[in-house]
Amino acid sequence: MKFGIFFELSTPRPWTPESEHRLYHESLEQVRLADALGFDYVWCVEHHFLEEYSHASAPEVFLAACAAQTKRIRVGHGIVVCVPQINHPARIAERAAALDLISSGRLDLGTGRSGTWTELGGFEADPDETKKTWDEYVRAIPQMWTQERFRWRGRSFSMPLRAVLPKPYQKPHPPMWVAVTSPGTEIDAAERGLGALGLSMGPVSEYAEKIENYKRVIRSCEPVGAFVNDQIAAVNFLFCHADDAEGVATGQRLAGTFNYLASQLLSTREAFPTRSYPSLGLLPGLRSEAAKRADDGGPSAAITIGDPARIEQALRRWESAGVDCVNFLLNCAETVPQQQVLASLRLFAQEVMPRFRSGEAR
Amino acid sequence: MPLYGTLDVKARAADAPRLAALDAPEWQLPGAEVLHLLFETEDAGNLALLPPALHPTIPPTCHLVVIRAPESPAGAFVLAQLRVGCRAGAFQRGFVTRAFCDSARAAAALCSAFGFDARAADVRLVRRHDEVSARVTEGGRAILACSLGDPVAIGPDDVRYVDALNLAWVPRGGESVLRLVQVDARQRIHTADRGRPRIASFDAPAWAASGLVPDYGVSASFCSADLVLPRIRFLVDPEKPAFRGTEKLGA
Repeated sequence: MKFGIFFELSTPRPWTPESEHRLYHESLEQVRLADALGFDYVWCVEHHFLEEYSHASAPEVFLAACAAQTKRIRVGHGIVVCVPQINHPARIAERAAALDLISSGRLDLGTGRSGTWTELGGFEADPDETKKTWDEYVRAIPQMWTQERFRWRGRSFSMPLRAVLPKPYQKPHPPMWVAVTSPGTEIDAAERGLGALGLSMGPVSEYAEKIENYKRVIRSCEPVGAFVNDQIAAVNFLFCHADDAEGVATGQRLAGTFNYLASQLLSTREAFPTRSYPSLGLLPGLRSEAAKRADDGGPSAAITIGDPARIEQALRRWESAGVDCVNFLLNCAETVPQQQVLASLRLFAQEVMPRFRSGEAR
Repeated sequence: MPLYGTLDVKARAADAPRLAALDAPEWQLPGAEVLHLLFETEDAGNLALLPPALHPTIPPTCHLVVIRAPESPAGAFVLAQLRVGCRAGAFQRGFVTRAFCDSARAAAALCSAFGFDARAADVRLVRRHDEVSARVTEGGRAILACSLGDPVAIGPDDVRYVDALNLAWVPRGGESVLRLVQVDARQRIHTADRGRPRIASFDAPAWAASGLVPDYGVSASFCSADLVLPRIRFLVDPEKPAFRGTEKLGA
């Protein structure tokens, strides 16, 4: 199993001139440590206007710094919002290729369409259209990367023959993913040969069924790119501490803060009646799972917080469900002091990660 | 952490409805029609209208909700409400600043049963093929004219309403206290249309919403539905953050 970290870049009010500066630089410190400890991925989301919850509107800049300051960790640019009012597909292809060059071929690209009216409304995008534009983007971008010159006559965008430059360092192109939050998107991912990113949807048993669907469909997919990226990555919270009670308490504060901030936003589902947004978005499965309690009053068995043994148990559940990778949210709105975040990463890498790397008996 | 409302609750206390009891039976509203318009609003006006218990939505919003109920325990009525979009802790809610009802009897009953600050007025809801419009006139003065333009059919499951919170005096522990009364209406939607929200006139002070400027239309829907206003289940202390100040009745 692979492990990654992902960033929403959240910072609480009251904002000071130092708030965002500290957030970005502490996050980069976490990335450098994760690279040294052997984590496989660093992902950064793209969000706009999401006060406190996410100040990650220019993830390509943050990730360029990550790439420049690390040696081996893969750089996940995602999800990028595949909506014309927010990103032209050629700009996505260009930025991603530049990141792939800077990172010497360590880029993965995650695609999606945004789940909030806060964002879509801010750019006056039409929520009815976003699934369709995403579908067109994921077909166009690999062609932009692999064809010397590219032209397109489409539904959401058109362009005459142009060389979209630079080209990615990886050949034929970087792996592509799609964020899976709405019901059925795992099938969309599989049909297109895309990795399923952040496939978080509640109980492990339900998750397993979705993974089975994904694995079945992807065997006969028509990939939008030059190859099939048959991988499933889940998302989870991480707080690892030698003292289980303290690990659980801090982890629950982290999860609760994330849940609270996310709920303040205006979801597209709430604001704009449309079939295009059947769920509330913003990792609702993860939020729901985090709010659950086990029979003993402890955290849900699916949440990776607590001491190394408890976290290993949770990860074994995801592993047995068929997940290839788990990406962890390390902090939210500075709930966890930086030194504790770093200590949590170190302890996880020392005590838990090796048990999933060496094929150690369960 | 998220912003909190800054409304001076005590300044609204004198106007707040009084509930003699919290045991009103649920109201069945079969065959109702609901016009719902959502607007983004100016930031400052929105914050000043919300009690300190509540967070504003991001971005700030308001809902105009007009319900025509051909049947109810208080007879037929048309009720128009202004709700400020908010969160009670992590939950989606709309804080009702004021409501108007075309039936004095229904207005009084909605006040005493659920805490709606509902006043008698001429409230009209008109459905045509090119638009669905609502108009509220009080004392001969139009205080709201709004509409859904160019309706197109959508699926009943596509529509979602948020629960209302009414500021009212309620009996607790032998005395009368100010609380936010949650009206978590249930609905079974039969048909739904969506269209462009339009607002032709809006008298904010008449809606106890001075400073509120609904300046950016988000969505409009019109539904036929069977509605239920259930027994009151939750009260929120308007002065405390909702995650600390919410009381579940009967718990």
